[in-house]
Amino acid sequence: MTVKVLYFGRLKELSGAAEEVVEVREGALIEELFSRCSLDRPELRKFRPSLVAARNQEFAAWNTPLRAGDEVGFLPPVSGG
Amino acid sequence: MATPNSEDRIEITRGRIPNAELASQVRTDEDGAVATFDGCVRNHSHGRTTLYLEYEAYEEMAMAKMREIVAHIRANYAIRRVAMMHRLGRLEIGETSVFIAVSAAHRAAAFDACRYAIDTLKKTVPIWKKEFFSDGAVWADGELPPVPAETPAAKPASN
Repeated sequence: MTVKVLYFGRLKELSGAAEEVVEVREGALIEELFSRCSLDRPELRKFRPSLVAARNQEFAAWNTPLRAGDEVGFLPPVSGG
Repeated sequence: MATPNSEDRIEITRGRIPNAELASQVRTDEDGAVATFDGCVRNHSHGRTTLYLEYEAYEEMAMAKMREIVAHIRANYAIRRVAMMHRLGRLEIGETSVFIAVSAAHRAAAFDACRYAIDTLKKTVPIWKKEFFSDGAVWADGELPPVPAETPAAKPASN
């Protein structure tokens, strides 16, 4: 199945993309998706302890299972205001 | 999910925030207080001189989180109307990046709700700022939003 991945802020610069469509196994967890996305991006992988994930625009735990067509955002610490 | 009142004005904009308009929009004859928060661009950060800022957002999610904040203050404080606007793009020194106005019959509720709203916005709304200096640029230190706890056996997603 495929899911849509979005990167923001510093992560967008580290990944070199604002969004991409990624193929993962059925029911893959967000953690697996991030491993896939950061496989060839060591800079992105290093950032893992200081980012959070959102699934379909809700903050989500790393062991949240995914469904086809989900939108997953990887978000660095927020700094609005 | 709780929804804000239809009289509330919640927006993300790339233009100038109409501070005075928002402050007057929340006023009604039944209110004795309007509390506002005007977040503006400071000319220094960690001892360096800031030239300007650039803001970006996960816009759909940011709007959802801003609506949640407004729904929360409606449910928990005796307030009348709320306006909350955040600006994106390049902002110059002194410009308003976020503006919140809350009206209430009495000042305590207006102050408390406004304070909760800006504090929570800074922790949970997916917006990021990049600070530009004469010798480079950095993403501002931010806060990691609270995320649901991991469970050893998360339920599989169901249709």
